[in-house]
Amino acid sequence: MKRGVWFGLAIMAVVVLLVAVLMPAPAEMTRGHLGLLMLALIVVAIMLGFPTAFTLMGMGMFFGWLAFDYDTQKVLDLMVQRTFLVMTNDVLISIPLFVFMGYVVERANIIDKLFRSLHLALSEVPGSLAVATLVTCAIFATATGIVGAVVTLMGLLAFPAMLRHGYSVRLSAGAITAGGCLGILIPPSIMLIVYGATAGVSVVKLYAGAFLPGLMLTALYIGYVIVLAKLRPDLAPPLAEEEKRVPAPAWAEALMRDGRSLPIGLAAAALSPRGHPGAPQGEVWKMLIVAVLPLATAVLVMGMSYWGFAERATQLDAEPDLPTAIQPLGEATSGTAEPAPRAPGGLQEPPAESGLEQEQAGEPQPLGGVQEPAAEDKPQELTGGGMALDPAEAGGAPQALGVQAPPAAAGQGQDAATEPHTGWQIPVAVIAVVLAAILVWFYWFLDWKHLEVGWMLLTSFFPLTVLILAVLGTIVFGLATPSEAAAIGSVGGILLALAYRQLTWGRMKESVFLTARTSAMVCWLFVGSSIFAAAFALLGGQALVEQWVLSLNLTPIQFMLLSQVIIFLLGWPLEWTEIIVIFMPIFIPLLAHFDIDPLFFGLLVALNLQTAFLSPPVAMAAFYLKGVAPPEVTLNQIFVGMLPFMGLQLVALALLYAFPEIGLWLPNYLYK
Amino acid sequence: MQRLLLFVDEVSAYVGKAFAWLILALTFGITYEVMSRYLFNAPTSWAFDASYMMYGTLFMMAGAYTLSRNGHVRGDVLYGFFPPRLQAGLDLLLYLVFFIPGVVALIWAGTDFAEYSWGIREHSSVSADGPPLYPFKTIIPIAGALLLAQGLVEIVRCAVCLRRGEWPSRERDVEEVDVDELKKMVSFDDREIELAAQALREREQSK
Repeated sequence: MKRGVWFGLAIMAVVVLLVAVLMPAPAEMTRGHLGLLMLALIVVAIMLGFPTAFTLMGMGMFFGWLAFDYDTQKVLDLMVQRTFLVMTNDVLISIPLFVFMGYVVERANIIDKLFRSLHLALSEVPGSLAVATLVTCAIFATATGIVGAVVTLMGLLAFPAMLRHGYSVRLSAGAITAGGCLGILIPPSIMLIVYGATAGVSVVKLYAGAFLPGLMLTALYIGYVIVLAKLRPDLAPPLAEEEKRVPAPAWAEALMRDGRSLPIGLAAAALSPRGHPGAPQGEVWKMLIVAVLPLATAVLVMGMSYWGFAERATQLDAEPDLPTAIQPLGEATSGTAEPAPRAPGGLQEPPAESGLEQEQAGEPQPLGGVQEPAAEDKPQELTGGGMALDPAEAGGAPQALGVQAPPAAAGQGQDAATEPHTGWQIPVAVIAVVLAAILVWFYWFLDWKHLEVGWMLLTSFFPLTVLILAVLGTIVFGLATPSEAAAIGSVGGILLALAYRQLTWGRMKESVFLTARTSAMVCWLFVGSSIFAAAFALLGGQALVEQWVLSLNLTPIQFMLLSQVIIFLLGWPLEWTEIIVIFMPIFIPLLAHFDIDPLFFGLLVALNLQTAFLSPPVAMAAFYLKGVAPPEVTLNQIFVGMLPFMGLQLVALALLYAFPEIGLWLPNYLYK
Repeated sequence: MQRLLLFVDEVSAYVGKAFAWLILALTFGITYEVMSRYLFNAPTSWAFDASYMMYGTLFMMAGAYTLSRNGHVRGDVLYGFFPPRLQAGLDLLLYLVFFIPGVVALIWAGTDFAEYSWGIREHSSVSADGPPLYPFKTIIPIAGALLLAQGLVEIVRCAVCLRRGEWPSRERDVEEVDVDELKKMVSFDDREIELAAQALREREQSK
């Protein structure tokens, strides 16, 4: 046997010995002590490797029997009641649904396209391959939540690519393993459902709370890779020029040679009845859609902000205490702002036409149309442009008006009272100018690669992102319960797989069967743990733990640190499911004594347990990657590569701890 | 012997897989409910009861199937490093100490539970005309019995392993991470790995 095994067995022996020594003699043993004995034994029993659900069930039954003074009927009742509670639990019901969504999306084979499109889209970024890997992982892992599959797939797609481009083995391995584990934290994640069901915290709030910390962790990873690639280009060399290029097909070259810009050429080719010689009509339309999309978005944004501001202004005008004389003025000025929303539309043409014109000629001309209303209010834009928004937002609170008016009045010399009602055109004009500038800039530099990459993103990145955000959005904004959103997400996943022509009978069957097994695994664990927890509570183990913790006289901070350290250490021998279902019921009742929000605690636990996925030597992610890596890559290299990312997780944990607002702002904003 | 083991495996798997399809009913049922609530403004009264019943039945009936595929989570930090005979010995012991008593108790208690429910023709009280609860409660003893049968088979497996020093084979089934399947899905070319390995070797030499 290996030395590690003896080491492990020795640890277990020590636990058993400690229990034997510390426990009072059987005669003086109280029921609370029995409870603690039960807790110590369960840790040992779990380490023996027997399926945890049944260890918990069996042990819970024996100790429950002791707690009921050997009353068999009572313990039987307890068991079946607890089982039935799990069977009717309306939180756990989302688990099979989210698991199913994950398997369906995983089998839709989107990841290949997703990685390739992101890799091209991000080719200018330092460490582009590693950044693309992280982004791909974040999105795909969020949608599927299956660590093993994500790491294996990225190990096939991204790992060889990074190695061939001269990326260091460690950085490549770290990016893949760390990225693959992001799905555990970023909602909709199963872990948060399990925590919510155990701790009695609303899953909706947990999802709203975990969203920003998840994004923060992703951003930390990406930032680290970019900085590292900038400082040490030898670890992540930039792509060669020919790798970045996407060659345009001959027909597109021909379109451009006609002296027209790409979008105009595409439009002409698409609209002309005979089409362009040699240009497949389908391709032309595809690219035209991509080319028009930014314009459409800009018009939409413009229209929405115009209506939004105008609406607000009319609401303000409708307030009775306003001098009526000012109203015509407001209307008159609103007339001048009207061209603004149309401006981007008018703007679009010049740069497109001016393929040969000089920039100076192209630039001022389109801007001129918008500048008129903007120039009128120029001084304001500089002094109070940003502030002018405030009175409108403050809903016309008299105080805010008083403070706001002077600078604006100084700029314009207008009556202060008119400010909130006429001032709304300024932000609209600013938005119009900014959008117009972006559009000009965009269409000026638009080339074939952008269209091609745009199309790839449109068919891989956007559907997945929309799916995730739709599921999350409906939950967070209270339109649907998590289980309903998960069901809709599963239907979305099936539609996505259909759209990709990847939905085969075989894959459907696989997803269904895997869903049954994963759900049975998690939910039977709940059956076992709820019987166990009931026995523990009956024995009064909880009260003893509480007594003991309170006797330590910890400050809330000390308690928080202690509990997080314990959870971190438990993450080494145990799975996250076991930690949550067995140990959270012990921690949660203590939180009230220290005035800690169970929601905040849950976010910390989720972030904390994520580190367990990256901590050697138990990190499953490393083994999945090793399984598909070239034989030259050692497990040790992968472990070392994970370390910096694990460090970043600890940084994220510290940040979240220091600034709870990162996690709590969104739920507080939405639900209070 | 091996034939008997595989037969029970098959029964567990057959039942588990049959009930696994409930996930589709659950998915589309809930989606329909949400649609009828928002689009037709007519929330259904049966959706809540129906959905937790489908969920409960799904995971309970898949318990034995999961056990037959060794799919229940286990603390394998040490277990993974044990030689097969030690694994089998520990498993055998714990099957007898924890599993059999626990599951037998569950079947027993579940039978009483379901019997009582049948006796009073219990209906769900979530909505006014709730669906009957007794078939759903009967799931507990049935799922327990399946689990017990599968557990006995696992015990025999342990005994076989103790004698032979290696685990008897299991039925092949779809795996969560099946490298070959995943490779096929992304049409992976094994030369990619060779190319990467070559790049690594070249880098090593140039150092």
